[in-house]
Amino acid sequence: MAVELSFSKEIENIMYASHGKPIRDCLQCGTCSGTCPAVEFMDNSPREIIGLIRADMKDEVLASNTYWTCASCYHCTVRCPAGIDIADMMYALKRYSMWKGKYKEGLLGPDFSEAFVKMIVNSGRSFEPILAATYLPKYSAGDIIQEGLTAAGLVLSGKMPLLPKKVKRLKNVQRMVRRIIPIGETK
Amino acid sequence: MSEKIGVYICHCGTNIAGVINVGEVSAWAAENLKDQGVVVSRDYKFMCSSLGQELIQKDIKEHGLTRVVVAACSPHLHEATFRNACSRAGVNPYLFEMTNIREQDSWVTTDKEEATKKAKALVAAAVGRVAYQKPLESLLVPIDPNVLVVGGGIAGIQASLEIANSGQHVYLVEREPSIGGHMAQFDKTFPTLDCSACILTPKMFDVGNHKNITMLTWSEVEKVEGYIGNFTVTIRKRARDVDEGLCTGCGVCGEKCPKKVLDNVFEAGMGNRKAVYVPFPQAVPKYPVIDRKNCTYYLKGTCKACEKFCPTGAIKFNQEDQILTVKVGNIILATGYDLFDSHRITQYGYGRLANVFTSLEFERMSNAAGPTGGRIVLRDGKTVPKVVGIVHCVGSRDQNYNPYCSAICCMQSLKFAHLVHERTGAEVYNFYIDIRTPSKGYEEFYQRLLEEGTRFVRGKVAEITNVARVPEEEGKLIVQVEDTLIGKQRRIPVDMVILSAGLQARHDAKIVARKFGISCSADGWFIERHPKLDPVATMTDGVFVAGACQGPKDIPNSVAQGAAAAARVLSIIGQGEIEIEAATAIVDEVTCVGCKQCVASCPYQAIQYLEDKGKAYVQEALCKGCGTCVGTCLPKSISLKHFTDEQIVAEMIGAMKVMKSFELMEVA
Amino acid sequence: MKQYAYYPGCSLESLGKNYHLSALAVSTELGVELKELEDWNCCGATAYFPVDELLAYTLVSRNLAIAEKTGLQDFVAPCSACYKNAYTTNKYLKADPDLAEHINYALEEDHLQVEGRMNVRHLIEVFIEDVGLEEIKKKVSNPLKGLRVAPYYGCQIVRPRKDKEDVENPQFFEKLLLAIGAEPIDYASKTRCCGGSLIITNRKAALDMVHKLLQDAVNSNANVIATTCPMCNVNVEVYQGQVNREYGTRFSIPVMYFTQLMGLAMGIARGHLGIGAAAPVLAFAQNVEAR
Repeated sequence: MAVELSFSKEIENIMYASHGKPIRDCLQCGTCSGTCPAVEFMDNSPREIIGLIRADMKDEVLASNTYWTCASCYHCTVRCPAGIDIADMMYALKRYSMWKGKYKEGLLGPDFSEAFVKMIVNSGRSFEPILAATYLPKYSAGDIIQEGLTAAGLVLSGKMPLLPKKVKRLKNVQRMVRRIIPIGETK
Repeated sequence: MSEKIGVYICHCGTNIAGVINVGEVSAWAAENLKDQGVVVSRDYKFMCSSLGQELIQKDIKEHGLTRVVVAACSPHLHEATFRNACSRAGVNPYLFEMTNIREQDSWVTTDKEEATKKAKALVAAAVGRVAYQKPLESLLVPIDPNVLVVGGGIAGIQASLEIANSGQHVYLVEREPSIGGHMAQFDKTFPTLDCSACILTPKMFDVGNHKNITMLTWSEVEKVEGYIGNFTVTIRKRARDVDEGLCTGCGVCGEKCPKKVLDNVFEAGMGNRKAVYVPFPQAVPKYPVIDRKNCTYYLKGTCKACEKFCPTGAIKFNQEDQILTVKVGNIILATGYDLFDSHRITQYGYGRLANVFTSLEFERMSNAAGPTGGRIVLRDGKTVPKVVGIVHCVGSRDQNYNPYCSAICCMQSLKFAHLVHERTGAEVYNFYIDIRTPSKGYEEFYQRLLEEGTRFVRGKVAEITNVARVPEEEGKLIVQVEDTLIGKQRRIPVDMVILSAGLQARHDAKIVARKFGISCSADGWFIERHPKLDPVATMTDGVFVAGACQGPKDIPNSVAQGAAAAARVLSIIGQGEIEIEAATAIVDEVTCVGCKQCVASCPYQAIQYLEDKGKAYVQEALCKGCGTCVGTCLPKSISLKHFTDEQIVAEMIGAMKVMKSFELMEVA
Repeated sequence: MKQYAYYPGCSLESLGKNYHLSALAVSTELGVELKELEDWNCCGATAYFPVDELLAYTLVSRNLAIAEKTGLQDFVAPCSACYKNAYTTNKYLKADPDLAEHINYALEEDHLQVEGRMNVRHLIEVFIEDVGLEEIKKKVSNPLKGLRVAPYYGCQIVRPRKDKEDVENPQFFEKLLLAIGAEPIDYASKTRCCGGSLIITNRKAALDMVHKLLQDAVNSNANVIATTCPMCNVNVEVYQGQVNREYGTRFSIPVMYFTQLMGLAMGIARGHLGIGAAAPVLAFAQNVEAR
């Protein structure tokens, strides 16, 4: 019989594979937020996000930029006194918001991740210039120029790939991907 | 069967009756176990009540019962109760069997049918067994009235005084040169802010002067043998290199000694002592001790200034350790705690950043008799801090270090905040996760600190650094923390940080536990017999624990436990003799081949090998009836009274027959 | 020569080309044979976990499976992000048979199976543990005397815990730098994140993090910042200009790979170490060589 899961239970389930302690164990001590190098740019601190999840406040969590501002440095995880893998929780929240298609407006992360995944599925290797297409349109004119200058510098120093590389057994890899989730070409 | 067995099924209110159909079980037993000797079968609401017990006694008299079975809760709780009831009615207590249909049946399932079936099987098993049980007599052992107290901190001191004042004799063994423990290091005690030494030293002097206390300081217990009422303890009284008969405690030796040593024990590394020293001015006993590892005479063969200047010639180099063997009836362990090593939390900078202090370091600094004369100053010894940060929960409540709460740090941190305010007028920040102030006067103490203007920031400190990002942070220590009550990461510049480090079991707690035959928990604290109802006894009869060695606690609780342990010991001494459980192993000398496998396998060292006879012999008083030797013995010469093969097999058959009839199992 | 299954990772073929060059040059000199895995795929870096965890682990597992097929014991990654992904995936494969089963089901499509038996190492670990600091010292013909190096560990090489090093104050990089005659400086931000994974998606946050790192290194008088990851390297080097414009600072500190520094100390030609490919580095490297 299908059971309606609370928001906190949904998040807990997505975190299964992270092998950490459940967020139920959180003391709200604030070590994670005190450590986080990116917290000033987050709408809610990592601790607050855990609080909001436990209170089943789905909308507030989905409207927050917190997890898309996470740099995955894992400093919170190693210091958490309750043993919670907070950085992995941030990934779980990213997945949840991608799955629901709901996230704060103006964030570049979701489109970037999606483009990256598609790029790998198409070639098996990463190729930076493709990714540029995802975020440049959202940058301001000034920022685009900055990027252009940076890119030029990289090309001149031979560090920018001009042609995408591909994995040889690409078809196999694509079929492998599709055994997990259904994306990419079939042939 | 010529036995007459009475079966009693307890309802235990709804604990058992709510799941098991007790009436059905009782009726089933009356009917189906008649051929096994069951003549009476009843069910009753509360068998352990006086009415319940009287029921058994009445039936014994009226029906001439020779065996009794009670199906109820765990024998841990009430086996003794029912054994006594049988005994009072004239049936040997070992002709009674208790079977657990609560913890092993009604409490572990909600399936009423299955539970009732299992109950029937358990009752049949007990009935099968009880018929083969034999009457046994408990062993009575005399109690030696002397008591050993290990550890001369406040708990050990309290215990010793209680026992000594009652007229009994105590051996108090203390590892350090003086008694007093950690309490002697503190400045003020919460919540009254009494001077610690002022309230402790009168007790210390009482101990030192008490005619009923043999105080052995600078000593350690080496070996413990024996059992309750009859322990033989070997104590090593280390050589002080001072003749206690001649020494007057004048202190000239210490003054003249040229060798300064960093005092990592009493002064917590904040100050120095000499190679010949008395740990603190109010030490009991007043006799100094020579630290051979640092004494110039022992290192190079020269100096001897202390000997030269001693007015009574009390310095005696190259004294030998004394080994004493004493007999005691009971032992109280009051060995105290160690402080969590704050070096382990690298991000707090202890050891790397000069002005980060631990709680004990601060106590010494604050103490008027300490290395700074009671002035609160930075490591340079001069600068008075203007802003001080106090960090709670250092190494406690943390899966990465110690998961438990250390019980005293919140109050201690509040006390520090008060002392800093009082002495320096500095601004004080307390960084906490929760404020734990449960005991009498503690919450009021917290209120007082709020009134004093302490700035409380709710957040576990993430890191302490000296790397400045803005001009205001230059030259300061910066505490980086999330102020969770406002949801912002803050960097707070302070001059000094005090880490309220947690309490830990002594580094050698596991070794000490093994020496005395008790156990430690995973965290290293000594395990009590029951956490709620028996916090000072251990599973080893005759060995008690008191104070912080049993778990983190404050002074009032340590004192209370010391007194409690003393009361337990005095009650045992008062009885004069004690009963030892009769279910012990016994060797059949005829069939014993003298292979000594049992001697090696016994976890309690209860079996001796008698050289002259070439046979093994079980010392009943030490035997715990675990059965390891029975399993080890190849010729099957050892049997366990009250757990013979016959009895166990009868129990198994009783259960299996029933389970087969209910198709709960296949029996070939 | 001991052989290692070598997983360069996408960055080493593009942004981190000089890392690739210097890694191979130094390895050859030290008797470490890096056998590049055949037909390896991108590990997914930090971009796959936001989309699907199982797919992320599968991508990494394909590389681990290819490595296992070679029969070699060690899987070596020079990039900290690839290393972290491989290490944790490998650990989970061993600990969770259900996960392994699911992934192997997918890997069947490429005729591969994974067990989780590889020993996952970072390149710097192989030099320090397998070759040994004593051996490295012997190969140093041009000790980098007086060169104050800020060892920048970054985050993913030490975190999450890999039970190999102290996560708050690791010392292995300093020891390596001492072995090649350089002067490692002690600074607080050595394991602080550079914000590499945010440089595109949250420029502001990333620049703030780079700024703090640069400030700390420069305030501690570093001449050069040494890195163990191409993401960190590119992030801290290439975006210094932007940081200057954003914060009004004037940073121009060279950022080099530890392999490049090792190579210089061992007397390997600049061209083989990928030095000279970036202007600020070129000038500085000349200074270093001249000593």
